[in-house]
Amino acid sequence: MKRDKQQDVFADRPAANAVPDVKQLRKMAGDWLKRRRADAELSQADLAARLGLKYYTFISQVENGFSRVPTEIMGAWARELGLEPAAFARHLLMYYEPEMHRLLFGAESK
Amino acid sequence: MNVVAFEREQDNREWSEKELNVLVAAFGTMAPRTGRKTGRKTGRKTGRTWETGTTEQGDAQFYLLGPLPEQSCEICISRIGKRYILEDGSGRLLFEHRNLELVTLHAKAAVPSTSWLMVRVITLWCAVRNTIQEKVEPLLVEGEELFVQFVPQLAALA
Repeated sequence: MKRDKQQDVFADRPAANAVPDVKQLRKMAGDWLKRRRADAELSQADLAARLGLKYYTFISQVENGFSRVPTEIMGAWARELGLEPAAFARHLLMYYEPEMHRLLFGAESK
Repeated sequence: MNVVAFEREQDNREWSEKELNVLVAAFGTMAPRTGRKTGRKTGRKTGRTWETGTTEQGDAQFYLLGPLPEQSCEICISRIGKRYILEDGSGRLLFEHRNLELVTLHAKAAVPSTSWLMVRVITLWCAVRNTIQEKVEPLLVEGEELFVQFVPQLAALA
């Protein structure tokens, strides 16, 4: 059951026919992260506290699409949202490094 | 009857005009706001822009964005209550204070600027020039001295 839920969560992806720019993709990643946080019923402040951040402003920075989730806290971020870290990282790679994602996972991600 | 004007609690939603003036004065010359015409020429030089936003709780945020195509956040100044928080694009807390001018000073120091790049280029050029003077020039002088010594002998042979 949980697995099905996770699959749905990772179903969001940029439209195949559109070619969004880096900024747009980061914004899309931010929106996706915001939805996942809402699913986990956490506020920005809750998530920041769980990640050991003094302020929740960085969570906002990422969710507003101005920054990326840093690699060093990606695993922790995923776990706090109740998501599997590898799938979380792979999904974010689709927004942050679409070409890398295509090279690594190409056909299976379509 | 005299009415004492107490300082009004800041509205969390937006930057006040005064605050925005401080931020634009600090960064406006190096980064015009996206889509704004003023200062665009200087912005082209650095490739930076800035945008504002808010947190979930409505705290104002100011993002200084790097050049295209990434346009990722280089520094972010947020206002929580009456405190200004300065972070870099990776979420590192750089500084926090109640004085916005002080925070912008720290922010400017944290942003790699053209002048910093120029200093590096000049330093590198001086190092290269010094190496040429120390290593290459003595070899040339030595060659010249040898030439001067052999010229009379070559002339005699001819």
